[in-house]
Amino acid sequence: MALARLYQQVILDHNRSPRHFGRLADVTHSARGLDGLCGDDILVELQVADGRIKAAMFSGTACAVTTASASMLMDWLEGRGLGEIEAAVARFESLLADPELPDAPDLGAINHLRAVAAFPARVRNALLPWQTVVRALSGSA
Amino acid sequence: MSPATPMDVVRSGTRDPLDVLRLREQFPVLARQVHGKPLVYFDNAATVQRPLAVIEAMDGFYRRYNANVHRGVHQLSVEASEAFEQSREDLRRFLNASSEREIVFTRGTTEAINLVANSYLGPRLKPGDEILITHMEHHANIVPWQMLCERTGAVLKVAPINRRGELMLDAMAELISERTKLIGVVHVSNALGTVNPVAEVCALAGKHGVPVLVDGAQATPHEKVDVQALGCDFYCLSAHKMYGPTGIGALWAREALLEDMPPWQGGGEMIRWVSFEGTTYNDIPHRFEAGTPNISGAIGLGAAIRWLEQTGVERIKDHEQRLLDLATEKMSQVEGLTIIGQAADKGPVISFILEGVHPNDLGTIIDHHGVALRTGHHCAMPAMQFFDVPATARVSFAAYNLHSEIDVFLNGLEQARQMLA
Repeated sequence: MALARLYQQVILDHNRSPRHFGRLADVTHSARGLDGLCGDDILVELQVADGRIKAAMFSGTACAVTTASASMLMDWLEGRGLGEIEAAVARFESLLADPELPDAPDLGAINHLRAVAAFPARVRNALLPWQTVVRALSGSA
Repeated sequence: MSPATPMDVVRSGTRDPLDVLRLREQFPVLARQVHGKPLVYFDNAATVQRPLAVIEAMDGFYRRYNANVHRGVHQLSVEASEAFEQSREDLRRFLNASSEREIVFTRGTTEAINLVANSYLGPRLKPGDEILITHMEHHANIVPWQMLCERTGAVLKVAPINRRGELMLDAMAELISERTKLIGVVHVSNALGTVNPVAEVCALAGKHGVPVLVDGAQATPHEKVDVQALGCDFYCLSAHKMYGPTGIGALWAREALLEDMPPWQGGGEMIRWVSFEGTTYNDIPHRFEAGTPNISGAIGLGAAIRWLEQTGVERIKDHEQRLLDLATEKMSQVEGLTIIGQAADKGPVISFILEGVHPNDLGTIIDHHGVALRTGHHCAMPAMQFFDVPATARVSFAAYNLHSEIDVFLNGLEQARQMLA
């Protein structure tokens, strides 16, 4: 059932114990992700050096979907080259839009978030951390 | 449909109680299922469902006498104009206004407030003048004034509320001065449920000669509104909160005020004579109704008012207050649940948070129990900020809700807690 898939153990676990949760020292890039309608309010902080994301943290309050999405994304981001990010965001968006697509192996646990596709009103929550990372990288701290 | 309990037909006071089961038959949508469960519609503060009387009135207009109003000499136009103006008269009677000339049809409460901001207050404001509102206003009674302040250099002042979500009248009184040019106050808060002492606010304002605008969107389906007894100057409402259609509402304003206001939108209907040398404007209220109006909407609104009068606003209120009391009592026993907004005088609205469960997730899980409720900031972000919550979940009741539906909702709440907390 779609509801059980959305609130599956992996997502619940990331919601209860989010990884990379808290504030980052030596921030080079940051952005606040706000969804006034839902009440999601997150801060993404990144430390970029030599064209790579050395560290990624998020903080704030958000629903389980946004929190799990942010937690998984921060996990995935660390160590990535800046050139990889744009393509990953596009791939994540298409994974949410098209249930026929196979999972993307390089995105790892993030594939679990595809369950949100059955809840059109919640897709925006899964996307918020990703959009916030893109905005953070387009500016600076 | 959920079974009725004896409490649904309990006699209250001297009035005959609502026969809720029979009343539900008038609402076709209540028969549907959501995710395989009977619909429990608890999102009435966002918009209520429509009875057949309203649906059929609008359908009848389109089937039998669809025509433009106030324009043709042919029979259909005459019938459409009569039905349209009958709705204005229905609304005049419903609000106890002294003349139907005081009723301006708008798209809803929001447009009514914007009309007053642009046509009444805008031309009168000078830099340093003040507009006074309350901390619990809907964005519709905040943002038009902010925009006006930006344009004119006036200042927006905010009367405080206490931790129960009640307006602090004494503090409000201290904020009224000769600089105050208008007071805007919500009659019933959509986010907190608070019923504000509007008559007292008007009496306070009257001492300083300050006009009062009342946002009545949330009040008209639950409270008997008498604009003359309230003593206000502008009253704004939306049909879709009071069993009528979306896209139509009204501004009631004192005749003398309307007479003194310039039009705010130009076009057909609002003119008497147009030439390139100049244009003469129509009388009130038509001066403020440029263009072909929402005719079917107005006819639906009239039908909704007659339905409310036949059903009885006071009887509906009794029923809703029992639902409110029962739900408040049961929800108070739920561990980790906090009700946001505990005013002594409340409309049938309960905003709440559940520890460990974000309102968004609660909304999704409970939807799978067939329960429709609202989550988010309820277009009252400053009120949310006052209570230091990013969002709440909200249940709100209407004439057709059953006591047994509260238990369906509480079961959903329990599942959400087990899944997430």
